[in-house]
Amino acid sequence: MLEKGKISPRQSGELLFITVFATSILIVPAVTTSIAAQDAWLAILLSTLPGFFLLGVLSWLGGKHPGQTLFQYAETILGKWPGKLFGLLYVWIMLQTAATTTRQFSDYLSTAFMPLTPLSVFTLSLIFLSVVAVISGLEVIARMNEFIILLVVAFLMLVMVLALPNWEPANLLPVLAHGLVPVLRASATPAVFMGEVLVAAVLLPYTTRPQRTFAAGAAALLSAAFLLAAGVVAAIAIFGPALVSVFRFPLHMFVRTINIGDILTRFEVIVMVTWVAGVFIKLSVFLYCASLGLAQVLGLRQYRPVVFPLGILVAVFCFLFFENIVEITEGIKSVAPKVYAIYYLVLPLLLVIITVVREKIFGHKFQAKRQ
Amino acid sequence: MTNAFSLLRKIIRPRSTRPAAPQTDNEAAAKKPENVDSTILKERLALIKNRLGESNDVVIREFSTGSTEVKMAVLFIDGLANKQLINDAIIKPLLSTTIVNHYPEKLTAKNAFDLVKNNIVFYSEISTAPDLTQALKMVLSGDTDLFIDGEQKVLVFGTRAWEKRTPAEPETEAAVRGSREGFTETMRINTSLLRRRIKHENLRFETMKAGRRTVTDVNLVYISDIVNQRTLEEVRRRIAAIDTDAILESGYIEEYIEDYPFSIFPQIEHTERVDKAAAAVIEGRILIMTDNTPFMLIVPTTFFQYISAAEDYYERPYIALFLRFLRLFVLNIALFLPAAYVAVVTFHQEMLPTPLLLSIAATREGIPFPVVAEALVMEGTFEVLREAGVRLPKTVGQAVSIVGGLVIGDAAIRAGLVSPAMVIIVATTAISTFAIPAYNAAVSIRLLRFPLIFLAGIMGLYGLICGLILILIHLAGLQSFGVPYLSPLVHGTFSDVVKTFTRPPWWLFVRRPHMLGLQQSRRQATNTFSRKPEGSTRELTHDATGEKRQNQPGGENDS
Repeated sequence: MLEKGKISPRQSGELLFITVFATSILIVPAVTTSIAAQDAWLAILLSTLPGFFLLGVLSWLGGKHPGQTLFQYAETILGKWPGKLFGLLYVWIMLQTAATTTRQFSDYLSTAFMPLTPLSVFTLSLIFLSVVAVISGLEVIARMNEFIILLVVAFLMLVMVLALPNWEPANLLPVLAHGLVPVLRASATPAVFMGEVLVAAVLLPYTTRPQRTFAAGAAALLSAAFLLAAGVVAAIAIFGPALVSVFRFPLHMFVRTINIGDILTRFEVIVMVTWVAGVFIKLSVFLYCASLGLAQVLGLRQYRPVVFPLGILVAVFCFLFFENIVEITEGIKSVAPKVYAIYYLVLPLLLVIITVVREKIFGHKFQAKRQ
Repeated sequence: MTNAFSLLRKIIRPRSTRPAAPQTDNEAAAKKPENVDSTILKERLALIKNRLGESNDVVIREFSTGSTEVKMAVLFIDGLANKQLINDAIIKPLLSTTIVNHYPEKLTAKNAFDLVKNNIVFYSEISTAPDLTQALKMVLSGDTDLFIDGEQKVLVFGTRAWEKRTPAEPETEAAVRGSREGFTETMRINTSLLRRRIKHENLRFETMKAGRRTVTDVNLVYISDIVNQRTLEEVRRRIAAIDTDAILESGYIEEYIEDYPFSIFPQIEHTERVDKAAAAVIEGRILIMTDNTPFMLIVPTTFFQYISAAEDYYERPYIALFLRFLRLFVLNIALFLPAAYVAVVTFHQEMLPTPLLLSIAATREGIPFPVVAEALVMEGTFEVLREAGVRLPKTVGQAVSIVGGLVIGDAAIRAGLVSPAMVIIVATTAISTFAIPAYNAAVSIRLLRFPLIFLAGIMGLYGLICGLILILIHLAGLQSFGVPYLSPLVHGTFSDVVKTFTRPPWWLFVRRPHMLGLQQSRRQATNTFSRKPEGSTRELTHDATGEKRQNQPGGENDS
């Protein structure tokens, strides 16, 4: 076993929550609102459906192959070399997600807080922290997350409550003015983030009671979607859909409007600080999954030696893939849903189909053997 | 990072892989050919003189007794053994002919050992040492040996009695309310202090030895039907693996047995308070008592133990709740207030309300250094003053604080070297550091402050949060004897969290901490607080005067 640590179902649920939630709260509100206007919250809730589907598929596969991660049972199902290729595809997509996450957040920090600081300061420091965390192991990430999740959720709640005086509920009306079609179109972008429950495929075998991962993951997905929707509702209620879709980071603007007795003002920096922690966990989770995956595909005995090189790779990707923040946002709006649909829906479904075909037609038995 | 630490530890300190070295140098000496033990008293005494040398505190009294003139010798260390007792209870009956001849059996070299042991001497604590090496070891701890000519075995009398300090109030952990007794340097007094508080038959004192030359007694104290056996086994293993020449204080042991020797955080709590130690033992933790020091180690330790004080458990729950949160707050202030100030003033001025910003800017006018340099210098100066004041006699110490106060507080500001705001920040931080109950935890916080100020100075709040995340990664990786250091905040049950951050009333403390994995977790029945007797809802004063009864006839039955 590459990973000796075990996490509890609650911890894995919390990891999934922060993975889905951490950066979606930055990007999703503006993108969804630009398509679905005041119905953006509905789009977000709808977007959990593919997430649930993926989670169901992964739990089913994980139940068939206890003690194995996605990378290992891909080899069992597809055969050695096709399975390795399949695993590499997922290592790639995880690295790419990690790079996108880092770049998004670094851009946010750079534009919103420290425009004079070079972008690489943020990307490199974030990646450095993640590398240290990943080398410390899954248990450490999970434990840290238990602490950080409190901060992230508590601050978001606090911010929403403090902003209540600025609400204009009329901004949220009318509901479904243009029918369901824009809502469905808008749900594609949040679905990309909801699909990040993919990491459950790696966490599952290291959870103490794997059969409860689906429940934990579902709870994580739902709560992330509700918080996200609440954030969007709050943003729209304050600014109206037109403004929200123009803002680059609506939630940032939204925090800036808060003013309690001229003392609590402009504390978006503090909110930023909690988000750094959340994004750091997300990045660590993806880097961990990618490193573990690569180690398993290559048949290494330790995943730790590949963490640092992969971290450097992520840093390079950050600058190689994207020119600027607009490109990221546009990419997430139009290209990403199609690309990620392959990884989050088509390929896992392919595994399920091949499993069923091999079992039902060729009579092959995937026996539940424990490692 | 933690992994790197454990790797380093493996390189530096291979545990229990080393071939068994002789435990003490005495044993090594005993194996030399010229040091072979003999049953003939004369040779034996010569050997003893050879091995103990010409130390003037070694007392050997030779005599012969009985009608057959059996030769005997008493050996003890002056100052460690109770001389009066040896005279009255051992030598006097042996030399008194009435007593020796009182028994029908005649005292001869053959039966001397049993007769002396079972009949003649007036002593309660007698044991037998199989050979000279063992006997010498016990003499050096204050016992008294009786050698009998022609007998290999040695009679050992427990006569340990040396100058002791009486239990005094612990200076490092003073409390307004609570027991005034603190541990002393003497193991026997300490065990009695604990035994007096926990009179249960399952309280165990398990003795181990550590240190080749100091041969220090180390006691593991636990309650055998509560303690987690695996933790206990691990503690035993780690203490047994200590192989060094001297253990002079429990701090030595702490560093030998802690999980992460390179961590900046203390992973083993220590206490001088008897009540705190007793509470820890009852809670299922293991107390490691070291001879010659009043500081007892408590394992396993979690980080949040450092925000609790013994007094919390004696005062009303509300004040304890308030104090715990205050200490948490103070811990954070001590850790990053200066760093946050540096970050906000350098990078995030927009966070401050305008009037405040203006006043800070006004005081900083004309100050030649950047804020971060100012903060580092001021924090450094404070540490110097503090270090200078700690070990000085009280009279001189005052001079230091006056000079320091004048230099920092007044002259530096008037000279325009530092801003008054920075002085306020440094002072607040310093006071916050003192408000953390545990000195060793406060020390690590003090040290971490400097890198955080530096990070905040170069990257603002983002740098600060990066530093804090690094600390968190480290903390989350720590474990103390199998218990995660951040428990119960991570890995914990809800009731553990409640019990750590608040102090529920005693009658609600139904279970011991879940995180320790104990044999018995229930410590009392639910709801054991003393209720009023059934039906007596009326107040006693009214009952006494009878006024109420006349005004409200039948009120008792209605309610």
